[in-house]
Amino acid sequence: MKRGDRTAVETVASAGLFRRDVLKFALAGSAMAAIGLRAPAVLANAKPFEGITLRGACFQHIFHTYIQKLLPEFEEQTGMKVEFDLQAFPVYNQRMDLELSTQGSSYDFCNITHSFSGRWISAGWLTPLNGFLDDPNKTAADFDPDDFVSGTQIAYIDAKKQVHGFAWEAGAMMMAASRFDLLDKEGIAMPTTLAELADVCKATHNKSGVAAFVADRLHHWNFPPYLMGFGGKVFRDPPGDLMPVLDSAESIEAAAYYAGLLSNYCPAGVLSYTDDQAMRNQLAGRANLRINAMSWLLPLAKSDDSRVKDTVRFALMPEGPKGSFPACNANAYGIPAGSRQKDAAWAFIQWATSKKTFERTALEMGGLATPRRSIIEDPRYKQALTINGQDIASMYLDVLERSGRDGYMAYRTVPVWPQAGEKINKAIERVASGQADAETSMKEAQAAAVEDIKKAGVKL
Amino acid sequence: MSNNRLDAKTRRSRLLANAIVIVLAVITLLPFLWFVVMSFKPADDIFAGVDGFFFTPTLENYTSLWSDRFAASMMNSFITSSVSTALALVIGTPGAYALSRATMKRERTFSLLILASRMAPPVAFAIPYFLVYRYMGLLDTRLGLITVYLTFNLALVVWLMRNFFDATPRALEEAAWIDGASLWKTFMVIVLPMSGPALVTTAILCFLYSWNDFFFALTLTRNNAMTAPVEVVNFMNYEGWEWGKIAAGGTLIMVPVLAFSLLMRKYLVAGMTAGAVKG
Amino acid sequence: MSTLDVESRHRKDVGLAGRAKAGTSPAFERQRQRFFWLLLAPVLAILAVVTLLPTLYLLVTSFTPLNLANPATAWDFSDPLVNYRTLLTDDRLHNSLWVQAKLSVVTVVLQLLFGLLVALLLNMRTPLMNALRTSFLVPMVLPPIVVAIIWKVLYSPDISPAWWLFQVLGWNVQTPITDAGWALTAIIVADTWEWFPFTMIIILAALAMMPEEQREAAEVDGASIWQLTWYITLPYLKGTLLVAGLFRLIDSIKTFPLIYILTDGGPGSVTEVSNYYIFVQSFSFSYIGYSAAVTMVLLAMIVVLSWIIIRAVSGGSNVEQ
Repeated sequence: MKRGDRTAVETVASAGLFRRDVLKFALAGSAMAAIGLRAPAVLANAKPFEGITLRGACFQHIFHTYIQKLLPEFEEQTGMKVEFDLQAFPVYNQRMDLELSTQGSSYDFCNITHSFSGRWISAGWLTPLNGFLDDPNKTAADFDPDDFVSGTQIAYIDAKKQVHGFAWEAGAMMMAASRFDLLDKEGIAMPTTLAELADVCKATHNKSGVAAFVADRLHHWNFPPYLMGFGGKVFRDPPGDLMPVLDSAESIEAAAYYAGLLSNYCPAGVLSYTDDQAMRNQLAGRANLRINAMSWLLPLAKSDDSRVKDTVRFALMPEGPKGSFPACNANAYGIPAGSRQKDAAWAFIQWATSKKTFERTALEMGGLATPRRSIIEDPRYKQALTINGQDIASMYLDVLERSGRDGYMAYRTVPVWPQAGEKINKAIERVASGQADAETSMKEAQAAAVEDIKKAGVKL
Repeated sequence: MSNNRLDAKTRRSRLLANAIVIVLAVITLLPFLWFVVMSFKPADDIFAGVDGFFFTPTLENYTSLWSDRFAASMMNSFITSSVSTALALVIGTPGAYALSRATMKRERTFSLLILASRMAPPVAFAIPYFLVYRYMGLLDTRLGLITVYLTFNLALVVWLMRNFFDATPRALEEAAWIDGASLWKTFMVIVLPMSGPALVTTAILCFLYSWNDFFFALTLTRNNAMTAPVEVVNFMNYEGWEWGKIAAGGTLIMVPVLAFSLLMRKYLVAGMTAGAVKG
Repeated sequence: MSTLDVESRHRKDVGLAGRAKAGTSPAFERQRQRFFWLLLAPVLAILAVVTLLPTLYLLVTSFTPLNLANPATAWDFSDPLVNYRTLLTDDRLHNSLWVQAKLSVVTVVLQLLFGLLVALLLNMRTPLMNALRTSFLVPMVLPPIVVAIIWKVLYSPDISPAWWLFQVLGWNVQTPITDAGWALTAIIVADTWEWFPFTMIIILAALAMMPEEQREAAEVDGASIWQLTWYITLPYLKGTLLVAGLFRLIDSIKTFPLIYILTDGGPGSVTEVSNYYIFVQSFSFSYIGYSAAVTMVLLAMIVVLSWIIIRAVSGGSNVEQ
């Protein structure tokens, strides 16, 4: 069997055949398996991780449901049992943060939430995976880590080029109109600049009872692309210079613009909308335009609950005066530093993010927000993502590549991002709810961010 | 004043008062009722606005959420609440008796300190508990939760039972002492049986507060010892607030405490007052 | 008519008589005292462990800049007052204290008011009222997290019956939880709904034991209902109201689920109470040292406030020490 033909699991399973001291290890094999070391296989089909239970924690997401469907094969081949502990997104983040901070060993693998990646990685709470990658015994040759589009992995690679996680989902920000027919009727095309976007919203808001725009309340995710589009920045020069620049003239202009969208052209109560609530508005055709990650916009075309399947149109995020910076993120599987079953965890992660697995989750099960280029360029994928005649796959790939190449998402991966992000959230809330104008609010955010970042021990 | 006029006047005012009470009761129950009704609505009708007002009830929200995990979380709630209540009663009642009967200096200071232990906001206490529990391996264990519930239950027991004992004359005990009965025996055989109703009331309140706890369970449990209120919050997931399921889950955790409270309403009322007024 | 008043008087009566009757020997007295200390010891010991120790931990930690993301900050006493200095200039903290004060005062007053009104009404004790009394208990026994979710439903225009009603009436009402001016009110309404049964029951029971003579005498003299209420009932209830208010005040500091589910402290910081601010500092950023300092300050404030109120409640009585 040629090396290159082996899957990850087979590699791991058969590696034992090449150990010289097979007999000695056979006896200790089961003991080693019990404490989590890979027991070399004595026979070709012995299971290397027999008896191991792998515990992982993630937030609830359909992808893990897909993985759990495919697990039996994996468990059969490796002998380990894999258990998922799934929690709601905000609950997961806080719990995991607390858990990792104490170097616990309750979990062998976990999800690395994008906005926390900088914090968790720089604090040393996650295990670098390069050791596994470089070891041919532990990683199949066809794993191909470079197959991940750069923008999806950039958050998980630290300054020393150590990679800490592999993405299972990628988010590429784009725009979707649920009721393109309303725009078309007036002869309006999908806006390509932010100025056009504002005009389109103004012209179509509440016509036929449909709000022109809708967003969710995660302003720290939604707003920075506008910020950068107007020429502003979150930090002066991440990751080295973490001085926030939220009070620059450009930042203020961007805040006024975005808060204006929220307060003038969105449905009532938009400031309390979760992702799901915003999506439901679009699904029901109550709101038209939204700019967010593809996974939140695809259901418009694919979900059974969608009433707008025929009228949905996609486009790239409109450009600001200083350029286009659609946000890109990914969520990845990683190994907590305190895990005691790292080899088994790596075997799982390798399998879960392998080409074969993504082929099935993306192409067969519909988990289309995939991070691997080979899948995205697969003709079947292109076809699945051809909606109402548009090639969404290319848009998706474009955003993923761009963010990796230009590196403008660096602000999200610094350790103090959660603090800065929270200030941005509050700032936009204040402006959109009419408590303060953009200038006052952003200046307040700037002062608070500087305070908090200093509290975290960063020298500004 | 003629009797007839009095009766008429009284009858009219009572009628009016009754009517007002009915209205108030309906208003009070309305939010709760709406929620329960929502748990029986199919998903489409929940968002359907006024059109969804008349709908065919369905049990699908309940059946889809009744998983092993939810059942286990209800069991966890039940066990942690009952055991912590029992422990608080066993430890706290003798202490309450002692506080009541003994003459001691700084008695008000003790009272204030015991009351103060109820002031601890769970948010602040969760961190030290989390750190210590991690060190001792008590995270995600029922024992851990039971211990932490003692923080508020013990104070409650002492406060309520002590007020009860204060209101109870010592005559019986003193008679027993004169007769030569031991202190311990007097307590067990005379005092305790007499305090039956108060014990029941206190037990109900402790159970209620333990069952309803959210924050400690959120921070200190994972999946083994997770209680029902935390499980409900788990439905608020990344991809959608499944309102039907949330309503169903919320209703399910309400049912035990509601049934419990309704059955024991006399004791509940008596107990709440014992804390403030001699009853 | 305060708790401590009554109980101290009672104890004096019974205690003196009791001691005389029992004719206790000093040996028995000593034995009895020992017995009581034995009974009390476990309570004190356990309370010390579960309550005092964590508080001590928080106190000690408040002198360090502990940040769980930065292990070097643990047990770093180089600048013990850094957190306390910071909190003096922390505008967001001061805002949270102000929001907390608003929330606590308004909810306690409203809960006392509604509790009082409903209790006065229910005190008529018609058969109907006795039957319906239990329905008023419902908001209080529900798990607070469920109450929060119920109100989230009520405040979400997509699924709330209130907004369907508004739609039918043609009103375009914004949802209060995203309105800077109304968010705190929204929380106050939900909190009052949840807890007015607590004060109601306490007052109702007190009313049940109110001596009838004064009231009857006044009625015979021709006093109106309002005069009866103002001059007889309310003074009688003074102590009860104070104690109920104290309990609710202490619990109002711990408000969490409503804010967590409804507003997340927002919009901006208009509903961010101190408890919530501590939560954000500890659980979102791991600034344990700082949040411990804030907690200490908050606890001190509550203890002082409670002390003042307890003194007011038992003011004038000489408790036998």
